[in-house]
Amino acid sequence: MQVFSIPKSMKENAKFTFCPGCDHGIAVRLVAELLDEMDLKEKTILAASIGCSVFLYDFLDIDSIEAPHGRAMAEATGVKRARPDKFVFTYQGDGDFASIGLAESTHAALRAENLTGICINNTTYGMTGGQHGPTTLIGQKTTTSPMGRFRETYGYPIRIAEHIALCEGTAFSARVALDTVPHINQAKKALRKAFQVQLDGLGYGFVEILSTCPTNWKMTPDEAHERVKNEMIPVFPLGIFKDVTDISE
Amino acid sequence: MESYSDKQLIKGNYAIAEAAVKAGCECYFGYPITPQTEIGEYLSQRMYDLKRGYVCAESELAAINMVIGAVSTGAKAMTSSSSCAVALMQEGLSYACADELPVVLVNVMRAGPGLGYIYPAQGDYYQAVYGGGNGDYKITVLAPSTVQECIDLTYRAFYLAQKWRNPTMILADGLLGQMMEPASYGEYPYPEIDNSSWALTGAKNREGRAIYSCARDEDKQNEHIRHLFRKYELIAKEDTDWEEFNTEDADIILIAFGSMTRNIKAAMKVLRAQGLKVGAFRPITLSPFPTNRLNQLADNVDRFITVEMNMGQMVNDVKLAVNGKAEVDLINRPVGQWLSVEEIVEGVKQIISKGVQYASI
Amino acid sequence: MEKNYIIAGFGGQGVLFAGKIIANAFMLAGKNVTWYPCYGAEMRGGTVNCEIVVSDDEVSSVHKQDVDCVIALNQLSFDRFISKIKKGGRIVCNSSLIKETRPRTDIDYIFAPMTDKAIEFGNHKLANMVSLGVLSNVETVLNISILEKAIDMVLPESRKKLLHTNIDAVKLGIDKETISL
Repeated sequence: MQVFSIPKSMKENAKFTFCPGCDHGIAVRLVAELLDEMDLKEKTILAASIGCSVFLYDFLDIDSIEAPHGRAMAEATGVKRARPDKFVFTYQGDGDFASIGLAESTHAALRAENLTGICINNTTYGMTGGQHGPTTLIGQKTTTSPMGRFRETYGYPIRIAEHIALCEGTAFSARVALDTVPHINQAKKALRKAFQVQLDGLGYGFVEILSTCPTNWKMTPDEAHERVKNEMIPVFPLGIFKDVTDISE
Repeated sequence: MESYSDKQLIKGNYAIAEAAVKAGCECYFGYPITPQTEIGEYLSQRMYDLKRGYVCAESELAAINMVIGAVSTGAKAMTSSSSCAVALMQEGLSYACADELPVVLVNVMRAGPGLGYIYPAQGDYYQAVYGGGNGDYKITVLAPSTVQECIDLTYRAFYLAQKWRNPTMILADGLLGQMMEPASYGEYPYPEIDNSSWALTGAKNREGRAIYSCARDEDKQNEHIRHLFRKYELIAKEDTDWEEFNTEDADIILIAFGSMTRNIKAAMKVLRAQGLKVGAFRPITLSPFPTNRLNQLADNVDRFITVEMNMGQMVNDVKLAVNGKAEVDLINRPVGQWLSVEEIVEGVKQIISKGVQYASI
Repeated sequence: MEKNYIIAGFGGQGVLFAGKIIANAFMLAGKNVTWYPCYGAEMRGGTVNCEIVVSDDEVSSVHKQDVDCVIALNQLSFDRFISKIKKGGRIVCNSSLIKETRPRTDIDYIFAPMTDKAIEFGNHKLANMVSLGVLSNVETVLNISILEKAIDMVLPESRKKLLHTNIDAVKLGIDKETISL
């Protein structure tokens, strides 16, 4: 009996180029599994982003267009308005989604675009080598906050999932993590919901994924996942912040 | 005299907007800025009625990238803006050139630099022709001179963008955008281009397609840029366009682009009536520029005088084209009220009599 | 033969609208024509004007240094454009809002109480239509039948019911008794 296979939505000989211990690989795999399970591969168009997520088109066997840094939601909007029958999603880092692209991300939600946004939050600019970013935690040392982030100079990190949940056009907004198997299973459920609200025409679906960056955090993969649990989740609580399909709310 | 039976008085901005509709534009994305706002106002209702795409974008950054997204699917799409806000779109144009995407963009020029003001100017010649984005690229630039050409060149912009898979700009100005003139739409005269070989439609019965400019392999990137520039040469060969008047016997040729064309033609007539052999030349495509034709003309012409509403931008392309074979002079005003026929005539006389090379009015 | 017209007044006096009617009328008469408004911030509150250039040949320039004929609907417009009129040119003035003075001797003046006439007719906003009627007396091309067609072309569908009101106001202006030369 076959117990493991590569999702059809992934390229057969794709080899992840992410750093060892980085959670991007898990996140991409979850996306690919869902594209298979929800039978979306043939109608999907991805608006890719700039950052460690930039090479997604090397791994996924789907149609995709790159976007300049921060503009993925604008491009996704263009794709969806031109071809409303397609499934359109973005996969962005926290810098792309919530710093340089915050206007595009927010307004896509406010316009209730039938799009799905996935944002990988690893509290740093990974690709450029670990600089202070919009989600860097208070006290966190980065190459551009070597003394640790402090309020007077750097202000505070943004809670992205809560911010998107405040937008009236948002149908679903959740924050998940990939540090444990139960959390990974929750993450997949949340992603499925964020995909489904788009398919049902309910509006903007969004999932923020707390993720590791062992290289820039200068940690082993295990230590990195401990940091997610001990430092990130207390500041960025996991949960569903908006779900228009949940009638009990 | 022309019959106006099939014509109506149309404002330049509306002419561009309706021509885009008739060209099959499926999506419009834009942000308001004077003096082009009527384009977005008009299309908000028109696209809604036609069940086509329309978004009041949150910024020009978003607008140009929405166009990129839409055209990547094979749809025809457009944005419009003006000068200081077109500056915000330069990144997108660089990407669209690299990705070979048929973006259509309208710039109804206002005064600069900085915020400048809403009165007309032609200060974005460099911005349009040489661009403000990064890297080696060229967009195609068409400069209408009348309201009728706002229609005709909008049609052509959609066609050339598709034909060459290259961003194409309609470079108008506040005067042209705001004025009315009799014009007629006719039908979109160009064939539809098959884009099924590259458009993103979902990976059905084929491998996934990725449109991107990220170039990790230096050799491939060298080849890609060379490919782009071979394409630009072909565009120049097949689609460079201009018009010329009384150039056969001319000693002096006046050159202008866009809505200034009307004024140099009138000045030419006045100067001819006074016995000077003056011709007029007007590039319709600013990029590609009619370099070869100007170089040919330079064999028999003493002097070219460009007339521009800027500090002298196109004049440098004329100098490159003429390549020392003839004198090249400039009559200009930076912004605002278009140089009048009388001012142009006076400027030409100053240049001839005093040998000055620069008649700033 | 080329001639240009400027019609100017307060925002709200329907200056651009009347200018479009003039431009359409000349187009219907087979002339080449351009219409160019002042635009932008000036439209909000201050004086508004537009320029119409009419030519048998191609229009030489959309916006010219001097002007053959000015239609001034308020004092500010009179003051602003009086010096720009060509020698031998003409100014058509709304004497309801403009003092009857003749500061230049080398141009023709026509004064008519356009706003008063419009108020008598029932709507002060029709002063612009009255001005077209006054102009019609000195511009033979702009006869009532061509103006009727032009008004019909310029009125948007949603306001077509006002067609006859507008035409009647033009006729008031044509009435020679309202004019003082």
